[in-house]
Amino acid sequence: MRVSELMSKHVEAIAPDKNIRLASRWMRDNNIGSLPVVNDGKLVGIVTDRDISCFAVAMGRDPSSTPIEKIMTTDVATCYDDDDITDAAHQMEQRHIRRLAVIDHDNKVIGLLSVDDLARGSHELAGAVLEAADAIH
Amino acid sequence: MNICDIMKRDVKFISPNTSAKEAARLMHDQHIGALPVVEDNKLVGMITDRDICCKVTATGRDAVMTKVSEVMAKDVATCFTDQELSDVAYLMASHQIHRIAVLDNDDKLAGILSIDDLAHKSHDLASTILEASAAPAH
Repeated sequence: MRVSELMSKHVEAIAPDKNIRLASRWMRDNNIGSLPVVNDGKLVGIVTDRDISCFAVAMGRDPSSTPIEKIMTTDVATCYDDDDITDAAHQMEQRHIRRLAVIDHDNKVIGLLSVDDLARGSHELAGAVLEAADAIH
Repeated sequence: MNICDIMKRDVKFISPNTSAKEAARLMHDQHIGALPVVEDNKLVGMITDRDICCKVTATGRDAVMTKVSEVMAKDVATCFTDQELSDVAYLMASHQIHRIAVLDNDDKLAGILSIDDLAHKSHDLASTILEASAAPAH
């Protein structure tokens, strides 16, 4: 099965100079936990609801004046939309993460693949990703 | 197999009068995404990193002035240490939650069971919960 069959499409992206409060509103209103950060059409990072709690709120940064680039993860794990889900799952396992940004062969972000999406395709693969994931509970 | 065999013990918890910023700091330092909220030895709620993002930051509240009790989830689902794994997995799926507070027979907090803990015993049960959960999408 291909990544494109399971990934979330219509992914919202945000620019790195937007403030953290805007990102938090976006996540709340769209019921999502992560946002790809895109600059000039290029993927430069990813920011999650947990990043906002840990690296903005916990550190006492002002969410209205701090840009997302201060707290985003820049080393984003990616896969291609035509990759096999087994390869995508193995990458998540090896990197101990729960989601990948999905890009096309022009390096444009076209989706996100989370362990939740994976579970709709394979309980076995999703379970293995959870087992390997960094303990956040 | 029962819950007490796979749950995490020595759970960090927080008081409802603590600030949201303190809760965020504790979750950061302890590498956890959720904290049980305990008052007078009784579980009164649960607060997650997502609650802090969506109910504090997104609403423009001051994280130092906001108390945990204002943004925590109340009426949280719980289970007991001697319950069967499959029953608790079903409970988590029906409540669309990825972690659940575990109580002992005196209704005191005994541990936390996460979907990751479940995955170590059954990929299928853990994935069933993932499939059932509606939020957040990614």
